[in-house]
Amino acid sequence: MNIADPTLHAWFDGELPPAEAAAVETRLREDPELAAQVRLWRADRDALRAQCDAMLLEPVPARLAQAVWRTPSRWRVEQWAAGVALFVLGGATGAGLLASLEGPQRTLQAGSGEWLQRAAVAHAVYVPEKRHPVEVSAEQNQDGHLARWLTKRLDVPVKLFDLNPQGFDLVGGRLLPDERGPSAQLMYENAAGQRVTVYLRKPDTGPADAASAAFRYERQGELGLFYWVEGQGAAATGYALVGSLPREQLLALAEAIYQQGGAGPQAKPP
Amino acid sequence: MHAPAAFRQQLLAAIPRLRRYARSLLFDASAADDLVQTALERALTHWHQFDQRRDILVWLVSIAHNAHIDERRRNARMSLVEPDDGEVPPHAHLDRWGSDPGADVGLRIDLVAALQSLPPEQREVLMLVGVEQFSYAECAEALAIPLGTVMSRVSRGRVALRERLDGRMPASSSGAPTLRRVV
Repeated sequence: MNIADPTLHAWFDGELPPAEAAAVETRLREDPELAAQVRLWRADRDALRAQCDAMLLEPVPARLAQAVWRTPSRWRVEQWAAGVALFVLGGATGAGLLASLEGPQRTLQAGSGEWLQRAAVAHAVYVPEKRHPVEVSAEQNQDGHLARWLTKRLDVPVKLFDLNPQGFDLVGGRLLPDERGPSAQLMYENAAGQRVTVYLRKPDTGPADAASAAFRYERQGELGLFYWVEGQGAAATGYALVGSLPREQLLALAEAIYQQGGAGPQAKPP
Repeated sequence: MHAPAAFRQQLLAAIPRLRRYARSLLFDASAADDLVQTALERALTHWHQFDQRRDILVWLVSIAHNAHIDERRRNARMSLVEPDDGEVPPHAHLDRWGSDPGADVGLRIDLVAALQSLPPEQREVLMLVGVEQFSYAECAEALAIPLGTVMSRVSRGRVALRERLDGRMPASSSGAPTLRRVV
């Protein structure tokens, strides 16, 4: 088997049935050089994904959003119609895209910081995903590497919170690029298919973030956000819980996360 | 009958991924958004042809792929410029490829330059399989090529990308012309 063998690449891409995949894996154990090559491909692919994921967080240009709401028979741009349509969209996607179209100043008030905006946009981008909502799924996390990986990349302690008592199971997590450093998103889902995300990162330093060290709540249309900062100095971690849920339900989840965070009671739940 | 609002919402949600795919074809962000806009308009005109049991991104990629081929043919007829992706000099649009401060900048530049230097048909399957995580079957469907062609393009593209990153093949020696041929 050489490096250009399509069967090897099909295995790499998860396309082979179990028996054939096992044969390739045996072959890789016997051929360290080939195995090393495969590791390089994996690193290339991960680097490309990380870089390309940054593009998903860019705001959608207004002309593309408008194109979606136009009527094919007359391709005239009717700005007000597009605006109205976005307002009636409802749901996380609508609110998030609205946020990304209008910019942070319109959607989240001063004091919350840009990272909160990123949390809302990341929620809107990944929650509707049926195929790849997360980078590492809960099933792939049996050895606990998801939390270790995110902790290492974020340089803040990342825990996988148990939200089972609130009816939510972990879907998985992903690493997100951010202008000021990497951040992480954990996704949870309940039996009804409702999803919430927890966004974690090192908080920005500055007066705006000092103000957000308390437990705070904001609402963007149907989307609710609880956010707070735990710990101090180098160990400080910024949390944002995002979901299209009633405030009380979201608060119960935020409290459960807060109690499991354990970095020290700097913030007090309301 | 016009496309229902639910369908338009699906389109809206697919825009970020569609833009990413378009940029892997064109690299120039504004030209890529033109392609996305064309694809969205075509999707709205033919919305009734979309089977809701299928993945809308696969369908949209196939529309964008065809629109891109049409565009290339048109350009080739009009200007006689080599109908390939050699128009954009390497690194010209690096800033458009987002930024992950956690990633090594050198690797990032190498990766984009290496990817840009691949033949477009290899680059396309690597993006769809590697980044969008399409199955081979979905990739074949979106690009209207046989499954075997997807397999050979993936394997050749992945090996070629690594060779370029290893410096075993200069980026300019690819199939894409580096000089514009204006006759």
